[in-house]
Amino acid sequence: MLKPIALVIILVSALSGPVFGEQKNSTAKKAGEGEKPAELAWRYGGILKVNLDATFQTDLHGSYDGADLNAGLKPFALQRNRVGVQGTAFKHIEFEVTRDVTEKDVAEGRLAKSPWKDLNVNLTYFKRAQIQAGKFKIPFGLDALTGATRNDFVYRSLGGDYLAPGRGTGVMVHGKLLNRALSYSVGVFGDDGDNATTSKARGGDRTLAARVTGTPLRRISAGGLGRVEFGTAFALSGVSDDSDGSFMPKGLRGRTVVTSDAFFQPVYVNGRRARWEGDVHWAGGPADLRAEYTRVTDERRGQGYADENLPDVRYQSWYVRGTYFVTGDRRTRGAVQAVGRYERIWFDSVGGSDEPARTPRAETIFPNGDRVVTVGANVTLNRYMTIQLNVIREAVSDRDRNPVAGGAPFWSRVLRFQFAL
Amino acid sequence: MRYLAVFFALALAIPSGVAAQTAEPAVPPSPADAFFDDSVVHDVFLNINSRDWQALKANALDNTYYPCDMRWRDQVVRNIGIRSRGTGSRSGSKPGLRVDFNRYTSDQTFLGVLKSFVLRNNTQDASTMHERISMLFFRRMGVTAPREAHARLFINNAYAGLYTIVESVDKAFLKRAFKEDGGHLYKYDYDATDKPWYFDSRGADPALYVPKPFKPETHEQDPRPEKIAALVDIVNHDSGAVFRRTIEPILDLAQFVRHIAVEIFLADKDGFNGDWGMNNFYFYRLENRELFRFIPWDKSEAFKDGPRYDIWHNIDVPSWLQNRLTGRVLDDAGLRRLFLDTLAECARSLSETDPGAPGDRRGWMEREVEREYAQVQEWAALAAEDRVNYSRDAFERDVENLRVFARERSQFVLDAVAKSR
Repeated sequence: MLKPIALVIILVSALSGPVFGEQKNSTAKKAGEGEKPAELAWRYGGILKVNLDATFQTDLHGSYDGADLNAGLKPFALQRNRVGVQGTAFKHIEFEVTRDVTEKDVAEGRLAKSPWKDLNVNLTYFKRAQIQAGKFKIPFGLDALTGATRNDFVYRSLGGDYLAPGRGTGVMVHGKLLNRALSYSVGVFGDDGDNATTSKARGGDRTLAARVTGTPLRRISAGGLGRVEFGTAFALSGVSDDSDGSFMPKGLRGRTVVTSDAFFQPVYVNGRRARWEGDVHWAGGPADLRAEYTRVTDERRGQGYADENLPDVRYQSWYVRGTYFVTGDRRTRGAVQAVGRYERIWFDSVGGSDEPARTPRAETIFPNGDRVVTVGANVTLNRYMTIQLNVIREAVSDRDRNPVAGGAPFWSRVLRFQFAL
Repeated sequence: MRYLAVFFALALAIPSGVAAQTAEPAVPPSPADAFFDDSVVHDVFLNINSRDWQALKANALDNTYYPCDMRWRDQVVRNIGIRSRGTGSRSGSKPGLRVDFNRYTSDQTFLGVLKSFVLRNNTQDASTMHERISMLFFRRMGVTAPREAHARLFINNAYAGLYTIVESVDKAFLKRAFKEDGGHLYKYDYDATDKPWYFDSRGADPALYVPKPFKPETHEQDPRPEKIAALVDIVNHDSGAVFRRTIEPILDLAQFVRHIAVEIFLADKDGFNGDWGMNNFYFYRLENRELFRFIPWDKSEAFKDGPRYDIWHNIDVPSWLQNRLTGRVLDDAGLRRLFLDTLAECARSLSETDPGAPGDRRGWMEREVEREYAQVQEWAALAAEDRVNYSRDAFERDVENLRVFARERSQFVLDAVAKSR
């Protein structure tokens, strides 16, 4: 616990007399991210340029009565302590290395998520067909592709956290076409990302993913319609109950926002996993509006009690969100941004003729979901430090799996201090 | 109405001698009574995904639950949970099973009452009768004990071995036995690797007693461990002058003496005064009262040391090997006399002839052995799952040992009691 805090102190101290020279220009901007603040960078002629990247997030939070016992929620948590470098070599080779400084304790026999977050190179010899290889985010989902430090909420949407694939290891071709009006990404990955991985089992197998974004209304200037960006993505994976040697249910799971209480446990799946999402994003001046819908289905071949096929399990989510800078903008010291989001995530099966049940092999899956309202504010202290306050109301529909006795909605609150280079 | 008809039909079928001798208080008939009817061998069908059954057997040491359907007579219960169970009896070839009806649906019951039951695999008992005869004898002696009956288990319609249906000690059991279920129930949780415990003081901290070795089965969020710590403290520290006066309000002494007397009479070397410290009992503190009572559990090891099992086995031993509670209780002259009286009562009950059959010289246990033998002999050691653990010859030998026990135990105990007065 002390080590990351010490590291934060050292880094903050270093800002007054940086080892690296400050650079105004940024490199390797990630898909879906806005402009980054000034970075600490080091340049060696025109051959090599390296930017230091670091993120430290500390949360103070609370939730329903008993969350400390039920979910092990502690009032104080070091949420994310991540350092890395990104840069460019020989003009056309971009690289990115990011690693979590602290590893969470992993119980014996459980799968550890790798502390390496991004570990990839991106070849930009052909601007319209760049090739990226290594570990990085699978191109799926507007919210999932938004970097943690650029997210205007303390937590991503539940769909972004649990239905989108997250990071995977693979190869991707991406670029911009039609005078940058259309962006595309197509990649093949070894698995279906770390969001589908739990502490006990890996998720899906080889994954093909593609995402397209564009501004088809760009020639319309009225009402800012030209700035509306539409996006869509799909991903296809194989899923099986024993692909990694652990015979476990490998369906996706649903968990609450702050306390991570599981309100939908993985079910047994086998066959094909199909993801699809559609999103829309508009930004104008101090305002930013987004909406996204995600749908995932898993086949369940041979998963019944008599080894018969079961109807697909279906996972869906959507959100609408808006943010507005009341004062200043993202780079302004003292800027205040108001944020709000309404989202829903739910789980069921596509059909089924019997009584709905909650078992991991139920023919008709007893539906369950979570409706979440998040409101809050972000205060920019300076170019590196931000404070975020979110108040979250959750309502889990199935009383049996609601972490609060009686099935009542519950409130959580979180105050995050973020330091990001 | 159908259940009532079944109940009355079964009640008529129970041998009158046994029914008359059972000292448990009369209770209104329950639909679940037919499930524990020991005049027949039941058929229990589990319909489970073949991969789950393989996984359960391959990981028999785990407590992982697997979903399945169950059928008994015309009753089908869907989406229940089963898991491997047992301590020394755990088996990958013939798993002992805990069957939970409310594992996935909190309010689901079987026959309107049962939330769970146990399918005991009897891997440590070639006759398959030790447990059933023991519990029947406990109840005959007026000690509340689980009901049991033999059952053929079918997995996906294939015969998987001869089992014993065992009533779970849970709220439904408490309601039936004590007419209340609001008290604090604990299971004495002893693992084979645990250091034997003899009720000596572990210290004043209640956390040294709950949740291990006393695992809360009710009131898990408010298990009141201080009550057990206080009992242990009295047993280990109160002087002989005040001991009986201080312990009597919190422990049903007469019931405790009867419990250990029956255990010793049955030559149970894995009970409260077992060879490996205490084992195999539940502990119940009655609702709105301070009084603790013992409930027997798992008597697979009974009878094994034969009819000449010393009535002072593990009692007349050096103090550090003696159970402190047993020692303190039997130091009291009145309670010691009660202990001997109860042993003599056990002897008379075990060898009591059937008043309805004047020509039959066999005692109760000898008749019971033959009754159960007639029920199971066709099925014993028939399935490959059973033959992994014992052969047909071993079954016959062990039944013969029970017959010898039935014939010789009473006289041996009466002689020993006479010598001890």
